[in-house]
Amino acid sequence: MANSVAEQAAGPGEVSSSKGGARLRLPVTRGWRLTDAPAAWLLITPVIVLFGISVVYPLFDTIRISFFDIKGLAPAKWVGLGNYVTLFGDATFRNTLLTTLIFTVGTTVISVSLGWALAMLCAFAPAQTTPFRGMMFVTFGISEAVSGYMWLNILRPDKAGLLNAVIGIFVPGYAHSWLGDPNTALWALIFVASWSGVGLPLMLCFAAVQSIPRTVLEAAYMDGAKPFSIMRHIMMPLSLPGVRVAVFINLLGALRAFDIIYVMTGGGPVRATETVGYFMYRESMTQFKLGYGAAATVVLLVAVLVISIPAIIQRTAGAK
Amino acid sequence: MIGRIPWWTVVVVGVIATIWVIPVLGIVITSIRPPSEVALGWWRIDNVSFTLSAWIRVWSEYPLAQAFWFTGMLAAIATLGTMLFAPVAAYAFHFLKFRFRRVLLIIIINAFVLPQQVVVIPLFILWRDLKLIDNIAAVLIPYIGLSFAWSIFLVKNFLEDFPKELIEAAKIDGCGPISTLRHVVLPNATSPIYAVGVLQFLWTWNALLLPMLYLRSMQPLPVLLTKVAGTYESNWDLRSVAAIVTTIVPLIVFVVFQRQFAAGSQTRTGAKE
Repeated sequence: MANSVAEQAAGPGEVSSSKGGARLRLPVTRGWRLTDAPAAWLLITPVIVLFGISVVYPLFDTIRISFFDIKGLAPAKWVGLGNYVTLFGDATFRNTLLTTLIFTVGTTVISVSLGWALAMLCAFAPAQTTPFRGMMFVTFGISEAVSGYMWLNILRPDKAGLLNAVIGIFVPGYAHSWLGDPNTALWALIFVASWSGVGLPLMLCFAAVQSIPRTVLEAAYMDGAKPFSIMRHIMMPLSLPGVRVAVFINLLGALRAFDIIYVMTGGGPVRATETVGYFMYRESMTQFKLGYGAAATVVLLVAVLVISIPAIIQRTAGAK
Repeated sequence: MIGRIPWWTVVVVGVIATIWVIPVLGIVITSIRPPSEVALGWWRIDNVSFTLSAWIRVWSEYPLAQAFWFTGMLAAIATLGTMLFAPVAAYAFHFLKFRFRRVLLIIIINAFVLPQQVVVIPLFILWRDLKLIDNIAAVLIPYIGLSFAWSIFLVKNFLEDFPKELIEAAKIDGCGPISTLRHVVLPNATSPIYAVGVLQFLWTWNALLLPMLYLRSMQPLPVLLTKVAGTYESNWDLRSVAAIVTTIVPLIVFVVFQRQFAAGSQTRTGAKE
C-alpha cells in the first residue's frame, strides 16, 4: 500500500527535479532522480497539511477564540481576558478545577499503585499468574464508552446492581444510587477509570522486573535476602522507570477524560463530576458559548503542558 | 523465580483478576439471559436459562448493523491514511536533509501531549463554515492529523536502528531518495508500520467525541452506544448486546496484537528504556 503512494508521488516529482540533477555523480540507472530536499518536501507534504489543519490551526485558534465572546452564530465580540475573568469568578468552574484535580490524582494514584503492587506480586510467580495478568490487561483494550456501560450495569441503583447486592449481604435491603449521589459519583468514576488504567502500569512494571538479570536476584537470594526485601530493595527501585511512564500516561489520560464521564454521569449530578475537559464540551457544544469554552480549554492546555514538561524536554533532546 | 513461590501471591492476584473481569462477565451474561430472570441481578441462579432473543432483536431495534459497517469504514480509511503517510514522513525526517527538518520534527512529535478537546471548537467552526459537518472528512482529517504525533515518532524510533549500510548500498546502486524508500526502507519496516496501524485502528474505532460533534446522519458504534446506554429504559439485554458489538472488534485486535500495543504505548511517551 505504502509502495503505491510512493510510486505516485515519485512520478511528477522526478520530472520536476530534472534541473537539479543527481547529487551523487554516479551512474544513474533509471529515470530522473530527486535530490534530498525536494524529495523530502514531497514526502512530508500530506503530513504537514493534515497536521496543520488538525493540530496547529486548532491550537492557535482555540487561544484566539478564548479572547472573544462568541455565542452561537452571533458575531464575535473582542473581550480580551474577559472570558478568563468570568471563568475564575464562576463558582462552577472553580469547583470543576477541584473535581479535575481529585479525578486526575485519584485515578493515577489508584491505578499506578495497584498496578505496581500487582506487578511485584506477579514477579514472584510469573508463570502461574500469566492468565491473571491477561485478564487485567484486557480491560485496557476495552473502549472507555463500553467500560462505562459495563459499570453502569454493576452500579445500578436498585438491588439488581451487583455492588448493592454484595453490600446487601451484610446490610439487608441496601440500595444506594452510586452515580446519583454527588458524594459518591466522582469516586465511582475514579474507580472505573482506575479499573481501565491498571493494565498499563502492571505491564510496564512487570516487564521492567522481568528484565532484571537473573544473576542479580540469585546473588541477593544467596546472601539470604528474604522475598520481601528482594522486592523492596531490588524490584521496586528497578521498576521505577515503568512507574514514571505509567504515571505520566495515566495523568494525561485522566486530564483529557471525556468518554467515561459522558457515558456514566454526563457531568452530573449537579455538575459534581465535571472535569475541565468535560466543562469545555458542555459550555461550547451544548450551551454554544464558544469563547467561554475555548478559555476553559486553554486552562486545560496549560495543565497538560505543565505536567508534560519533562516528556517534552526528553523528546526534543532525542529528536536528531 | 527464585526459591519457593509464595502461594498467597498467586491467590491474591487471582482474586483481584477475577474481580476485574466481573463487569465484562456481567454484560455478556445479561445479553444471553431473559430479562425476567435477571430482574434482580444477572448473577442470580434461581432459574437459569439462556436465550439469543436479544442478539436477534437488537438489529431491528437499533441501527447497529449500519453503524458497525460505518465504524469499520471510518477506522479502515483512517488506519490506511496513517499507515501511508506516517512511515513516508518518518523516512524523510530520518534520512533526508532539508531546511526546518528538526524544527518540524520537534513540533510534530511533541504534539502527542495535546488533548483532543483542543480541536473541538476551532474545527467545529471551520467545518460549519465549509459546510463539512456530517461529511466523513470532518472526522477523518483530525483522526489522521492527530495520529502523526505518535505514529511518526514510533516509526522514526524504529528507523534509528535501521542499518545505514543498506541505504548507502542503495545510493551506490543508483537509487534516489524515493526509490530508496520504496525498495529498501518500506519493505524492511513493516513491523512499526503494522504497530502504527493497530494503534490507529483501536483509537479510531473507539472514538466518541469528534464523531458525536461532527457527524449527524450516520454515527459510529460508540456514539450509538452512548445514545442507547443513557436512556432510562429497562432493556439491559439489548443494550448489553450493543456494548459487546461495539467493543468486540477492537478487543480481538487488542488481544491479538498485545505486544505491538505495549511497545506502542511505551514509545508514545518518549521513554525508550
